[in-house]
Amino acid sequence: MDPETERVVKDFASVLDELTFNSKPIITTLTKTAEENISCAQYFVDSLETRINKCVPTQKLYAFYALDSICKNAGSPYTIYFSKNLFALYKKTYLLVDNTTRSKLISLFKTWMAPNESTGSPLFESTSLGKIESFLIKASALHQKNYQSMLPKPTIPLLLSDIDKLTILTKKRLSKTPDDPKLSMKLQVLAQLKQELQKGKLSSAALKQVQLQLKEVFSQDQQLIQQQNEYEQRMEFQRQQQMQMQQQQQQQRLDVPGTNINNDNMKSNSSTPIPLFDNMTSLGPNVSSLFGTTIGPIFSQSTTTSDKSERESKIQKLYESLDNVDLLYKPKNESIVTLYDKIKPKDADKLNKESNIRLPSIDMLQNIILDCKAYFANININSLNVDSLTFTQQNITSPNSMVENNLIHLLYRAKSNKCNACGKRFGNSNDEKRLLSEHLDWHFRINKRIKGSSQLITTGNSQGTTATQKNIQSRNWFLQDSEWINFKDDDIISTKNIIGDDDNRNRDKRWRKNGDNTDRYNKALSGSTPEGGDDYSNVLTDEMLRNTKLPVPETNVDMTFKCPICKDTVNAVYDEDTGEWVWGNTVNINGKYFHALCYYESIKNSNDPEQSSALENLRKLVQKM
Amino acid sequence: MSFLPGLTDATVIPEVYIDENEIHKQVIPMGSIWKIRVAQESKMTIKIITGIAEIFGTELANNIEYNFQNWNFTIFAVEEVQLEWKGTDVHPIVEGEDIIPNETAQYIYNLHFALEKLRSQSFYGPKIMVIGNKNVGKTALCRTLCSYTIKFKTSQPMLINLNPQESIFSPPGCVSATPISDILDVQLPIWGQSMTSGATALHTKQPLLKLFGLEMISENKDLYLYSIDSLAKDVDERLQKDALIQRSGCIINAPPLSQLDDRFDSLLHIIKQFDINLVVMISDEANEDEKLQYEKISQLITPEVGNNFIRFPKLSGIIESDETYDRSLQRSATREYFYGNSNTALSPFSVTVDYEDLMIWEPVNLINVGEPASIDSTNLLQLKPVTITPGSIQHALIGITYADKHAKSEDVRNAPLLGFALITEVNEKRRKIRILVPVPGNFPNNATILTSYRYLE
Ligand SMILES: [Zn+2]
Ligand SMILES: [Zn+2]
Repeated sequence: MDPETERVVKDFASVLDELTFNSKPIITTLTKTAEENISCAQYFVDSLETRINKCVPTQKLYAFYALDSICKNAGSPYTIYFSKNLFALYKKTYLLVDNTTRSKLISLFKTWMAPNESTGSPLFESTSLGKIESFLIKASALHQKNYQSMLPKPTIPLLLSDIDKLTILTKKRLSKTPDDPKLSMKLQVLAQLKQELQKGKLSSAALKQVQLQLKEVFSQDQQLIQQQNEYEQRMEFQRQQQMQMQQQQQQQRLDVPGTNINNDNMKSNSSTPIPLFDNMTSLGPNVSSLFGTTIGPIFSQSTTTSDKSERESKIQKLYESLDNVDLLYKPKNESIVTLYDKIKPKDADKLNKESNIRLPSIDMLQNIILDCKAYFANININSLNVDSLTFTQQNITSPNSMVENNLIHLLYRAKSNKCNACGKRFGNSNDEKRLLSEHLDWHFRINKRIKGSSQLITTGNSQGTTATQKNIQSRNWFLQDSEWINFKDDDIISTKNIIGDDDNRNRDKRWRKNGDNTDRYNKALSGSTPEGGDDYSNVLTDEMLRNTKLPVPETNVDMTFKCPICKDTVNAVYDEDTGEWVWGNTVNINGKYFHALCYYESIKNSNDPEQSSALENLRKLVQKM
Repeated sequence: MSFLPGLTDATVIPEVYIDENEIHKQVIPMGSIWKIRVAQESKMTIKIITGIAEIFGTELANNIEYNFQNWNFTIFAVEEVQLEWKGTDVHPIVEGEDIIPNETAQYIYNLHFALEKLRSQSFYGPKIMVIGNKNVGKTALCRTLCSYTIKFKTSQPMLINLNPQESIFSPPGCVSATPISDILDVQLPIWGQSMTSGATALHTKQPLLKLFGLEMISENKDLYLYSIDSLAKDVDERLQKDALIQRSGCIINAPPLSQLDDRFDSLLHIIKQFDINLVVMISDEANEDEKLQYEKISQLITPEVGNNFIRFPKLSGIIESDETYDRSLQRSATREYFYGNSNTALSPFSVTVDYEDLMIWEPVNLINVGEPASIDSTNLLQLKPVTITPGSIQHALIGITYADKHAKSEDVRNAPLLGFALITEVNEKRRKIRILVPVPGNFPNNATILTSYRYLE
């Protein structure tokens, strides 16, 4: 490699390393670099493949997007090089990621199958694509099996995630028909149902009932979405025909600057039949869960006129059969109260239709409306890259309607989940929701700890026992400069850090012995080795506990267990290193499975000698792993 | 029914009776701010019932009681706010003009999104410095920008405070840099807590402090600039190691212009040291003096940052402060460092040491030196040993360095700051000193530096 190539390749790799979120600018940069340096193609391909293999599962998709963008924009030789390992890369990634990402991978794959506008053939070599296709078919069958084995056991987390999915679907519909009051009301009801579930007081019979109801609602939704999809496809078809006509008339007008790559995909997508999914209605992102038979917008089908009429009649039939069993609700001109009555879920505890119905407060309704408004205000604005946001005197100190009417919401209601305890806002994506729930967990643990320590301080002051002292809080010494330079604030702000305070305490012990602390500084000054023996080898960190992996035993059928302490259901994940299915953060204590962290929390604060030997055992167990 | 003469005479009702548990209601219309002054000895509790309220860019949770003490601040109603408050003071509000439209809010939003645009375009985020006279809203603007930045996306801007009289995450007397990694504490004038040994309701922050020790920059400008250079060097290293902070950029709070000499060459020095690429000057366009000042500074700075120098109007809702208030904030910050606050009580530790156990240095203070002409610049950076007497160190805030007690003067000056301590008592007869230290244990065997700040409990 000559120095110039080496530099370009190194730059490419370092930009690629920044691709830790779905960033269009980064992907565009990578694509441009790839286009402009075709001679480095093989190196870029190597570096992207390495990235996909090495990065954490949550980031793999973005690297795939980069791969996709490069191939679609730069074409050959990238498409040829990537074809070589594409199947292995895709399969490995698919097995490691969550279901949402899987569905995105499937969507991506579908765009590869679509014949390229200029070459008329699929993006990659057909053998690679064929392998992926048959892999996906097998994967879906496997999921189908899982799905059936899971259905009879409605658990709260499962139902909650189903509610989330339904919420997303409903929101999707709402984004298409924003004026539909039924939809926003439905969102509200779903939220209430979710709250009810979270209280965790429902009997298993009630849970089953909820499961069935959700299924009902879901199947109705599917119908509607399908109808809407078809309508959109029809519109899209017409639009494209119009566009073709326009194109013939004046080609230069089509030269839209900065056309979104993904939009292009969508277009080619909806206009091209994709053979794989014609009869594969069960292959979907949600198959492993309750709603096994998603026919989401992902699986768009060909829309010739004959197909369409056939479908319409099918829908008509379905509609009638649903109507017959009284599963359909047809709103007339009724008041909002009546409407609410109708779509409110039956009181799950009593299964009693006549139970009291309370309308949400006006504040709450108003909040929903404002949240929706904020959401729509930014729906078509996804770029900050406009001239009016450039840092100039004129721009900063004159009114800017885009900031005032649209962007400002991004700081507030567009992130509609506001933490009740501290006011921090979280968005609506699944990732953000996960962050919120981790955040709330963190508040809960911290408050428990704060309460605990203040009680100890007030009651135990005269004894001066070690237990009391442990909970007295004081300021820490500041870090010395070199430590601060290497410090990562993630150590402070991690909410997953269940025993973070213990870490603090350990660190604090170190600081308290400030003799050591400054000794280290002064030794470093005089050039001798600052770091002596580490006396923390014996300490269990949350990191160690979280990283525990337990291979799923052969005897376990559904690949899950329930942690006896937090009652969470733990699902197996595929472990790349060992090539096995494992449970993370899990220990086996005398044949029973626990979250390693939960187990640690439950035994660590006890003075009981039996417990302390349990702690010793856990330590050995974790260190062995 | 107290019409009976005997009854009313017996209980003398004060003219203004304050029931600190009485709940008052207040509505702030959308887009307005409520100016609040909570005096040193009083307390105020605020609970937002409905709407979106924020304090310097940080949103308040609804239905949570927030406690305030010794602070002048404003609550901004992003959407109409209904709140309840109670307090020990009859007028926590600035009467008459207490609710006013927030006219500068839109410009702050414009500024924020302009910064976001820059952040989205490069891995090297904007480094913006806010300059201006005293009482124009520099710190409020920096605080709001920091809050919006962490709210918008996963960002971690570096807040750099170059005003040693201002206490942000620390006692006064320092210049500092702090990654803003999570929500700020709306109740605290010092923005939030630095690290403690236990659980805190919000995530703490990890500041890097460089002790200047004096009050006025003019007391030893060379030393001030030296602290800045040292801070800038560490900040640069941190940025190189932390891609997230690098991408989020720096927000720099400059000292008030009155603290700098008329040439304003320190500003240029700061711009170069921190590689600042945007400068915002808060300045009143209508005021003739400020106009002249703006033009002068513009001529100076434009060659450095080009068109990235802009004028910003004085922030709406500024509550004029005087020296007494500034000092009370410095005292609060010092107390906060040792004792925490009503939400997080900290336990400092009192130790007694012999005169011989304490090595105190102090910076050169030009105001105290008879003939400044006789001092060359190397001497200005040199610390001088302090002779311990009750007069010299009683009630003083001292900085404990990482340097050994016997270290040389310049090693002490260059050493990182371990923490602060407070001299609570000097007993000349027994040659003993009582010292309050934040962390339990023996007094560190380290060299210390005397600051100009005194704190009396
Ligand atoms: Zn919170
Ligand atoms: Zn558990």
